[in-house]
Amino acid sequence: MDYMITTKQLTKKYKSFVAVNNVSLNIRKGSIYGFLGPNGAGKSTTMKMLLGLTAPTKGSFTIDGKQFPNDRLSILREVGSFIESPSFYANLTGKENLDIIRRILGLPKSSVTDALELVGLSEFGGRLAKKYSLGMKQRLGLAGALLGRPPILILDEPTNGLDPSGIHEIRNLIKLLPGLYDCTVLISSHMLSEIELMADDIGILNHGHLLFEGSLEELRQNALQSGFAADHLEDMFLSMVEQDNAARKRRAKL
Amino acid sequence: MRTFAMELRKEKRTGIIPFMLAVGILGAAYAFAFFLVQKDTLFNLPLAPMDVLLTQMYGVIMVLNMFGIIAAACMIYNMEFKGSAVKKMYMLPMSVPVMYFCKFLILTIMLFLAIAFQNLALTKIGLTDLPQGAFEFEAMLAFAGYSFITSMPVLSFMVFVSSRCSNMWAPLGIGVAGFLSGMALAAADHVLFCIHPFVIMLKPAAAMSAQPDMIVVMFSLVETAVFLSFGLWAAKYLRCE
Repeated sequence: MDYMITTKQLTKKYKSFVAVNNVSLNIRKGSIYGFLGPNGAGKSTTMKMLLGLTAPTKGSFTIDGKQFPNDRLSILREVGSFIESPSFYANLTGKENLDIIRRILGLPKSSVTDALELVGLSEFGGRLAKKYSLGMKQRLGLAGALLGRPPILILDEPTNGLDPSGIHEIRNLIKLLPGLYDCTVLISSHMLSEIELMADDIGILNHGHLLFEGSLEELRQNALQSGFAADHLEDMFLSMVEQDNAARKRRAKL
Repeated sequence: MRTFAMELRKEKRTGIIPFMLAVGILGAAYAFAFFLVQKDTLFNLPLAPMDVLLTQMYGVIMVLNMFGIIAAACMIYNMEFKGSAVKKMYMLPMSVPVMYFCKFLILTIMLFLAIAFQNLALTKIGLTDLPQGAFEFEAMLAFAGYSFITSMPVLSFMVFVSSRCSNMWAPLGIGVAGFLSGMALAAADHVLFCIHPFVIMLKPAAAMSAQPDMIVVMFSLVETAVFLSFGLWAAKYLRCE
């Protein structure tokens, strides 16, 4: 199997708190990988490690066969990312913000217009980023990630703050991306119902532990075997998390 | 060069460049106004004309420059932290220490321009108001260079502090505390106080002679290099955790 991102026993500890615990992910090239988990499960921390924003305490990972920190610049050139909340220069317009990123990536001028069009921000490109609504800031962040159509996209809850039609629009866009220019997408969310509509493969994380990794079909089979209806994957996800939490409490009591 | 040009683009609408130019123009205007009003009093002082010209107005000009540096350093990093823009920079294929160095360079150039404006005003006053033959161009240049070099430790220190504090009020407070403690220590003769970057900047204002003090110059150069190195080293370690 041709994997674009692989992690091996990836672990991140903050003093005594283990945010990510021995997580081994395998993300297929050209697929959309949904990274699921409740708030505080360690999704963002894992993504931050993949982007070199924080160093792993243990374990390793490769992105397109390259490793941090030796290949930092080469990896970041291939990855479009959007982590936690949109990051932008408040004193610059949307277009100027993207132009800064374009210059760093050495892309042609047309890539800014292209990215603005992709996220539906074309008519607001000249407005100061600080005057954008939350949804528009989110779109600007996404445009920054999509700039130059990178082969790998790491998106942390990109639909946060968007209205239902915005969520639908962005979801459709993300769904189209691998077909559009053969990119690999790692997208996180705490809602299975959302990931279910986009992802080819899924990884479920709870308290830093990877509870499940496989295709959506495998998750459905798993749901049926556990007595859940295959069309109620959300229940299956919640039950998986609850079971893990209960087991955790029992271990803590012992 | 590419990062420097990009940093200049980022400064758009932050007001840093016009602000530092305004500091220079205000300092120049103060020199003209003060000399116009106090000319006779100044020439009655028991000092050489060039010492009068260079040292007697420098106190206020230096305070203006100091607060200019403090505010500009806070502003230059505040725009990175506001909107978490710096986080995006960490995720892009660029060197964060180079970005830091370019910010340092922009502020250095702006301070240089501000000091140039102020010294142009002093040159004009020297040429028109000092007694015939009293104006010495070399002394003027030496003092301009001296005031620039002694201002650099504060600039280097403030850029370092601003780069490490996401809340703009923290470096601003440190700057004000530095100014107040510097004022208290500047008059003391002990050479060890020169470790304090704000004391260094206050030294030419506290002196009665325009002759550069080489010990102060040495301290300035070393401190500028030390704080710059600290900043470049710290910039390697991202603040995202």
